[in-house]
Amino acid sequence: MTTVHVRLYAGLQDLIGARDIDMDLPDGATVGGLREQLGEQYPVVQAFLPVLVCAVDEEYVPNEHVLREGDRVALIPPVSGGR
Amino acid sequence: MFEITREPLDPAPLVEAVRRDESGAVALFYGVVRNENMGRNVQYLEYDAYPEMALKKMREVAAEVRAKFPVTGVGVMHRIGRLEIGETSLLVAVSSGHRTEAFEACHYAVDRIKQIVPVWKKEVWEDGEEWIEGHIPEVPSHDGGEKP
Repeated sequence: MTTVHVRLYAGLQDLIGARDIDMDLPDGATVGGLREQLGEQYPVVQAFLPVLVCAVDEEYVPNEHVLREGDRVALIPPVSGGR
Repeated sequence: MFEITREPLDPAPLVEAVRRDESGAVALFYGVVRNENMGRNVQYLEYDAYPEMALKKMREVAAEVRAKFPVTGVGVMHRIGRLEIGETSLLVAVSSGHRTEAFEACHYAVDRIKQIVPVWKKEVWEDGEEWIEGHIPEVPSHDGGEKP
């Protein structure tokens, strides 16, 4: 099992009600797997998942990125915008 | 100079940080808190950020600006926390030998900051509040960032 530290921001933090959560994932789990599991653990975020971007070690990563023990994963909602 | 802070923003040190003796122009952008959005009266804004990554992405934007425009300096400051109407949330300063490049590079820098820097704002109205959904940052299509 691989444990990663997940940090939540903005609307996602409000929905889940925490800034930080730890998630236990199967070994070899990817960012895509983390998203799926997050949706299962917290159904309230389902609608959010398609627009969420993940960052590991302060860099945006695609769904196939493999997570390792102790990774710090940030779940990034769409950024502030304006025009 | 790149900074994320909860304190009010002061443009003077930023302008001085980007100015070089070769600079003939400094373009300075203020992002300020507006009292309405899409017909609603905004009471105040609450900004959240991922500070370490926001600083890294600000530096990336500056590197892009330097690659595209003949600038002599780039600096960005973003304020987070609660901001009242009229307060400054973002300062972007770009210096260049001449004004045209300074204006263009500053415009480009602000647009890119809004696309890739992880900062979020919540609008608070009289009767509710909402995190504003802006731009979805682009993600590398291949996973090249793997470290040993």
